[in-house]
Amino acid sequence: MSWRIDVRCAGSGGQGLALAAVVLAEVGLAAGCEVALTQEYGPEARGGASRADVAISDSVIANPQCQVPDVLLALHDKAWRKFGAGVPAVRQALRAGESVAVVDRDLVDLAPGTPHVLALPFEEVAREELRAKVVANMLAVGALGRLMARFPAELVEHGVAQRSPAAFRELNILATRRGWAMMDALLEADATVLVAAREAVGGDGAAEEVTSDAGARA
Amino acid sequence: MAERQLVQGNEACARAALAAGCSFFAGYPISPSSEIAELLARELPGRGGVFIQMEDEIASMGAVLGGSLGGRRAMTATSGPGFTLMQEHLGYASLAEIPCVVVDVMRGGPSTGLPTSPSQGDVMQARWGSHGDRATIALAPGNVAEVYTLTVEAFRLAEALRTPVAVLYDEVIGHMREGVQLPAPTAAQLGRRTGPIAPPSPDFLPYQANKAGVAMVPDFGRGYRFHVTGLMHDERGYPMSDHAQVAALLERLERKVAAAVPAVPPERYRLDDADVVVLAYGIVARTARAAVDTLREQGVRAGLLRTRLLWPLPVASVTEALSGASLAVVAEMNRGQWAFEVQRLAGGHVEVSPYLKAGGSVITAEELVEHVLFATREGVGA
Repeated sequence: MSWRIDVRCAGSGGQGLALAAVVLAEVGLAAGCEVALTQEYGPEARGGASRADVAISDSVIANPQCQVPDVLLALHDKAWRKFGAGVPAVRQALRAGESVAVVDRDLVDLAPGTPHVLALPFEEVAREELRAKVVANMLAVGALGRLMARFPAELVEHGVAQRSPAAFRELNILATRRGWAMMDALLEADATVLVAAREAVGGDGAAEEVTSDAGARA
Repeated sequence: MAERQLVQGNEACARAALAAGCSFFAGYPISPSSEIAELLARELPGRGGVFIQMEDEIASMGAVLGGSLGGRRAMTATSGPGFTLMQEHLGYASLAEIPCVVVDVMRGGPSTGLPTSPSQGDVMQARWGSHGDRATIALAPGNVAEVYTLTVEAFRLAEALRTPVAVLYDEVIGHMREGVQLPAPTAAQLGRRTGPIAPPSPDFLPYQANKAGVAMVPDFGRGYRFHVTGLMHDERGYPMSDHAQVAALLERLERKVAAAVPAVPPERYRLDDADVVVLAYGIVARTARAAVDTLREQGVRAGLLRTRLLWPLPVASVTEALSGASLAVVAEMNRGQWAFEVQRLAGGHVEVSPYLKAGGSVITAEELVEHVLFATREGVGA
């Protein structure tokens, strides 16, 4: 059975979501998958909420664009409203557990009881622990890597390293590991979240395998 | 196998131009084609090439023709509005037999339209945008890897046939990134421009055609003295208005571009026993392929003819694909352009039901499946 995962990385200009999408696509490539990355290019992408979509599949990608992503990453409230809460089809997919959203806990204003939204403090951890707000995107890459459960952590870290300027390499890898562990803890703590995640990304049991792996690492 | 890289469509185009030996680019940046100019502005000067940002697209095309007559492999890249401004010089290039490559990354039109949304609205502009019976070549890549190979092929065809070649793709293909290998072209894939055999002399005929119907016009600066004009001209290159000679010249220019048809064959997908033939190109052919698979699962014998050549019209492949079909569906992101040609070729023998979508979004597999199911049911009922 062929599979395809669509990840939408959304945020505010400058948060590095396009780079996060490029890294995810390159991880997919390195794993031998087909990938297609599309980005919003209009004037709305300047300063406002912007998005980059990655489709990863084991077979030819017909339409590189997706209507409703399997995974929506939103690192800013503007982006959450534009691509998540404000889109009926996405809201419905989240309610039905067909999609899962990963958002920044402090930057996205969630309505109470929004289902299948995993809120993690990316920016806070980046700022307080890693002393660099700019690596929040790499924390998110790690978290998405863990959530997708398709690629080993080493491959994700390698993808991050490839795209990092020398001065940021170590920090970015650290951020990726931290993000991976954050997601891992969240999935461990809440079985319903794990089930929803598996539903959304079409996991075939791989999710659990990777959990035990990463558990040892974290 | 070389490693695949994540490459954007426009980047693949620029890298193909470099691989094909392009050493002259003149243009005016415009969304969604700007990355081509950006990359070539960075790369060409260091390689002995020329990059000029002109004041507009009219001047850009003029500079490209000058660069080409000077012996360079020359190109420009633009989008619909710029392509419109280039049409006058494109007509000149066709008649004066000046090789060049024009990339048109299509966005929604008319006018400045939708700068960052995809469209396939320039298909007829590529054919008839310039006045007169201009013979044209237009290629339509359907993915990033093909943007690379067909841009290389565009240079080969332009040089071999001494004519402008357009490469048309939409904003989504231009901006999307895919994992691709970009192999260095072989000598055969690169082709070359052949000059005249005769040495310079007062009797030299720059516009004397070879067997393929191509005039081997020399590059400027090689010692030949000759005249280039947009007027109808004789073999010396001087203006003439002899009706029989003019007719023969137009016929020859049309005949020579026919060589592009066997050079750029279509992709045939599940066509052998197809009852419903979907015809598509560019980005739409990708979703059309998925639609064909879905239709097959639902018991409809569907197939896809994905043309990679819009002009000259690949008549034989289209008529052959239609020959056993009861329904043809042309799917394109415009109000019906290539569909007219298919309807013309179907000649009333095969029902043609176009699925057209203009407005800035890609045709999805789901809506195409629905259209085909509706059209086949309607056909049965009638």
